[in-house]
Amino acid sequence: MTAPADTPPLASAPSLESARRLVRRGWALTLLALAAAAGVYLLALAFTPLEVRQGAAQKIFYIHVPAAWAAMMAFSLVGLVSILYLWLKDPRLDRFAASSAEVGVVFSLVMLTTGPIWGKPIWGTWWTWDARLTLTLFLFFLFAGYLALRAALHDPAERARFSAVVGIMGLLLVPFVHLSVYLFRTLHPQPVVLKPSAPSLPGEMLRTLLVSVAVFTLLYVGLVTLRYGLALVEELREELRRDSAERWEGAR
Amino acid sequence: MRDLLAGLRLALVVAGKDLRMELRSRTALLSALVFAALVLVVFNFSRDPTVLSATDLAPSVLWITFAFAAVVAMNRGFHAERANAAFDGLLLAPVPREAIFLGKLLANLAFVGAVEAVALPLFVLFFNVDLGGALPAILGVPALATVGFVAVGTLFSAMVVRTRFAELMLPVLLLPFMVPPLIGAVQATSRLLADRPLSEIAGWLRLLALYDIVFLTLSTLIFPAVVDE
Amino acid sequence: MQMPPQNQEYMIAAYVVAAAIYLGYALVLWRKGRRLLR
Repeated sequence: MTAPADTPPLASAPSLESARRLVRRGWALTLLALAAAAGVYLLALAFTPLEVRQGAAQKIFYIHVPAAWAAMMAFSLVGLVSILYLWLKDPRLDRFAASSAEVGVVFSLVMLTTGPIWGKPIWGTWWTWDARLTLTLFLFFLFAGYLALRAALHDPAERARFSAVVGIMGLLLVPFVHLSVYLFRTLHPQPVVLKPSAPSLPGEMLRTLLVSVAVFTLLYVGLVTLRYGLALVEELREELRRDSAERWEGAR
Repeated sequence: MRDLLAGLRLALVVAGKDLRMELRSRTALLSALVFAALVLVVFNFSRDPTVLSATDLAPSVLWITFAFAAVVAMNRGFHAERANAAFDGLLLAPVPREAIFLGKLLANLAFVGAVEAVALPLFVLFFNVDLGGALPAILGVPALATVGFVAVGTLFSAMVVRTRFAELMLPVLLLPFMVPPLIGAVQATSRLLADRPLSEIAGWLRLLALYDIVFLTLSTLIFPAVVDE
Repeated sequence: MQMPPQNQEYMIAAYVVAAAIYLGYALVLWRKGRRLLR
């Protein structure tokens, strides 16, 4: 792991400065969101009524659902931005997709852990192949595969192109996962289970849920901004290092 | 129209070249077949026949075998080209990229088809499966299910060949894409073996067909983005 | 009056795990930033 080269201020220094600004802004948003999340914890635990049939475990809902929402959003954005990248070839789009994928995998990890922890007391089993959990698993594998591929490719243009291809394919896979689960459910009558998400939420629960979704969306935005900024810094540093190495070697 | 025919002919040339190379070395084909036989034997000996009947287990076993054989097949897909930089030669020629993809796909399908053709009789033998009148359907379902994920796999193997651990990377990327067609295939096979009427599996067959259409088209259209700068 | 099931430990576990994941990732990014920018 080589240290970044010490370079004199170059024409690219303003870009480095704008990258630093993005990182700072990302941190500001992230820390704000994390503080707000602590507030959501308090709101959900202390100021939201207990659900009588499911008990305290129902409150996992206020953490699980926003994570699911953020993960889906992250994933959809990766797919859509991938399409744009193949069309426009703008490296900023690729950088955004990569950032959204990494943040998305974090949210889907939260989904994948809180889901079963919620499921065990409510359904009696850690895992069921229902639509939500199955899709969670798929999202996680798709994200992980996307990131693994990126890590294994070193040419930036190739990496961007190939990632975009996987992103688009992944986006198109999701309807088929839904369809498979739907077919499985309708042709395999399952014992009726208690559905954790009640069809109509009483006011206070709905309020907590909406606040939570808003806060974790902010967290997504903050983390992606931060990640994007760091990716930009990394690229600029790499560029500067390559340039100065070329200059010293006299290579062209 | 003439371009279409030229493209198809080119695809066949590409496929033929691939298959000839594979026939000469035969390593991938043999390893896939050995794996298939191994899976069939082990699964048969690992179950308690009084608890789990052959017909319960058989479709899943069969499709796991097919899936792994397909991954083995696709892994060897673009390797030859990478080794000799022959791929660049192929790309320099003014050939439509879609034709190259189709050729690779046909070669992969032939390979997977060969493995399936050997594994299926073995499977009937080892599991004492009563095919009954379902034979045409039993043959049709593998064809329908395989095309979809082999198309995706062919596309991915073109990308993955540029990474260091290609053999590992391909299954990692491909796994989520294999699941919907495999679910459909196992469900359909299972019901056909249980002599269920075709109407019961109509939904699954539609899923398989739709998957094939969507991913075959998408893979073909997106392949140029992978091989061209 | 129906008693709700006693399952607070699951709730606590989920809340803690989620927090750990989010904070953990923030830490990863902080370390990355230090490596790249300081």
